[in-house]
Amino acid sequence: MLLKLAWKNLWRNKVRSRTIILSIILGLTGGIFSVALFNGLTEQKLSNAIETQTAHIQIHKKKFLDDYDIRKSIHNHNLVSKTIKENPLVKGYVTRVVTTGMMTSASGGSGVQAFGVDPKEEKKVSKIYDRIIDGKYFEGIKKNPIVIGEKLAEKLDAKVRSKIVLNTQDKEGNIVGSAFRVVGIFKTNSSNFDEANVFVKKKDLWKLLKANGSIHEIAVVVEDEDLSDKVKEGFVSKLDSKLEIETWKEIQPELAVMSDFSERVYLFFIAIILIALGFGILNTMLMAIFERTKEIGVLMAVGMSKSKVFGMIILESTFLALIGATLGMILSITLISWTGSSGINLSAFQQGFESFGVGTIIYPQLSIGFYFQLMLMVILSAILFSIYPAFKALKLNPVEAIRSK
Amino acid sequence: MENSIIKIQGLKKVYNPDTIPVFALNGINLEIEEGEFIAIVGPSGSGKSTLLNMIGGLDSPSEGSVEIGGIKIDELDSKKLIDFRLKNIGFVFQDYSLLPVLTAKENVAFVMQLQGQADQKCNKRAEELLTAVGLQERMNNRPAKLSGGQQQRVAVARALASKPKFILADEPTANLDSKSTSDLLDIMLQLNKEEKITFIFSTHDQRVIDKARRVVWVVDGKIDKDERK
Ligand SMILES: Nc1ncnc2c1ncn2[C@@H]1O[C@H](COP(=O)(O)OP(=O)(O)OP(=O)(O)O)[C@@H](O)[C@H]1O
Ligand SMILES: [Mg+2]
Repeated sequence: MLLKLAWKNLWRNKVRSRTIILSIILGLTGGIFSVALFNGLTEQKLSNAIETQTAHIQIHKKKFLDDYDIRKSIHNHNLVSKTIKENPLVKGYVTRVVTTGMMTSASGGSGVQAFGVDPKEEKKVSKIYDRIIDGKYFEGIKKNPIVIGEKLAEKLDAKVRSKIVLNTQDKEGNIVGSAFRVVGIFKTNSSNFDEANVFVKKKDLWKLLKANGSIHEIAVVVEDEDLSDKVKEGFVSKLDSKLEIETWKEIQPELAVMSDFSERVYLFFIAIILIALGFGILNTMLMAIFERTKEIGVLMAVGMSKSKVFGMIILESTFLALIGATLGMILSITLISWTGSSGINLSAFQQGFESFGVGTIIYPQLSIGFYFQLMLMVILSAILFSIYPAFKALKLNPVEAIRSK
Repeated sequence: MENSIIKIQGLKKVYNPDTIPVFALNGINLEIEEGEFIAIVGPSGSGKSTLLNMIGGLDSPSEGSVEIGGIKIDELDSKKLIDFRLKNIGFVFQDYSLLPVLTAKENVAFVMQLQGQADQKCNKRAEELLTAVGLQERMNNRPAKLSGGQQQRVAVARALASKPKFILADEPTANLDSKSTSDLLDIMLQLNKEEKITFIFSTHDQRVIDKARRVVWVVDGKIDKDERK
């Protein structure tokens, strides 16, 4: 009965109710869409980094990452591989030979990290093959092929089929060098990565380093990003304690921070919008009560209890918020799924976005959980902001209220 | 005076006692029995509305007491008072004061729903009451679609809905034309006779005064004359 009365009261001043509902719709849609856009941006940066750089989990011998000393290899890597393979949550893994060195051409040189990979296996874990912009991923050149990033290619003035030299130290500490021929040039969303990482075949690097069979890095991809920690824990309990097992969050802590931080920023951002909308609701309800002073007096005179009067007003504003929020969310979801599949082209700002590590096309996205959280926040703020008007109504003296015109 | 349902003793009301005091009631003693049909009459500003508000527990006396069915209502706290009003007193206001968003039937049923009665029961009684005030045809109309007289009859039906001990009406006919006034009065008299409903109302209208069975004259916040016919 209270529900019905509150609902009907809502439509007494249609213009006012519609105005506040419309402002809730627009405010929320604006907020949700901005959040989705920003979230799409972060997610894209994260997935780019995971797909092309970190994978979900990496395993090294302890201290290897301190100096990249190739003698610090993973000893019994076949056993390690077996443990990894047995975990049902693992989607794929690869073993790599890693060294640091100097890449030189006639036009210059640049420090790089060289990865010796098995091209076919590598595709299970890394999407570098998908980011080739010139040449092919280890196809077409038999002897010493190398895949390098666009930035490095520019620096070395190298093209596909150009010959470049990798200088490094072998297992005994001797300076060694070998010529490689560029087979493919990749471009990820991070130009820093493209400048400092090169990929060669495992056996070629073994030969150069005189370290046949050495493995320095195992990269693992799990079924779902959220499972990274759980899978890592499993590895830690089963594998040799001399191994360093890290998730992408530990490998690139700044990415992890960004992903955690952004969620808090979203809620804060939405909270500000809700406060603004809350004052709109407050104002609307105060006006509604002011207009209905006499009627509320009559209700109290005929025996409507204070708690019911209070409830009626809270319900009215909750209805307003619910209608606005529902419509706002429908509009946002439509907008997000529409732009989310085709993306928003921001190539006008290309330069800035590239150094941020994302593409020029942004795909807005949001989790279902966020909508639920938001709905809850909207209802809460509607209730919160109608408490004052509701108290104001309770303070009315029936006699005075009825005397008023 | 065994069957008095209302006992008023030494009732005084002073508005704004600290600034410019207005002495609205200056010692009213009055007893009202069940089944009476009383008109409170007096010049403007004499204190009729104030007196009715005191009886209805809408306002609290400065001095004296109001006792209804053995309960001193000036001693109830505001929560109990609201509940008391809901169960014991029916109100009719000069300007009808129906809820504009509800239909006639819903307006009447609403008071019963406030008492926590089942919807079905409320609807049934609302229909009976509206039939009793001659509005069986207009039950599903909203107030805006009804004439003033019809709205006031809905208000009487609403006042009766909670089966109160008595009905208080402050100038119920002041906004009505003479035809509506006499229709409303006939209904009130009929309810009074057949259902033994007690009516206490204030009025300026001579035709209404003529039909009352007891007339209490209030002048300057005091009872000037108490006339039974
Ligand atoms: N809330 C109030 N504050 C101050 N004075 C008041 C208040 N209510 C009533 N009064 C004064 O008390 C006196 C009695 O008022 P009341 O409304 O009871 O008169 P009434 O007999 O009903 O008059 P009318 O016939 O015009 O309705 C008047 O002088 C009025 O101005
Ligand atoms: Mg009056």
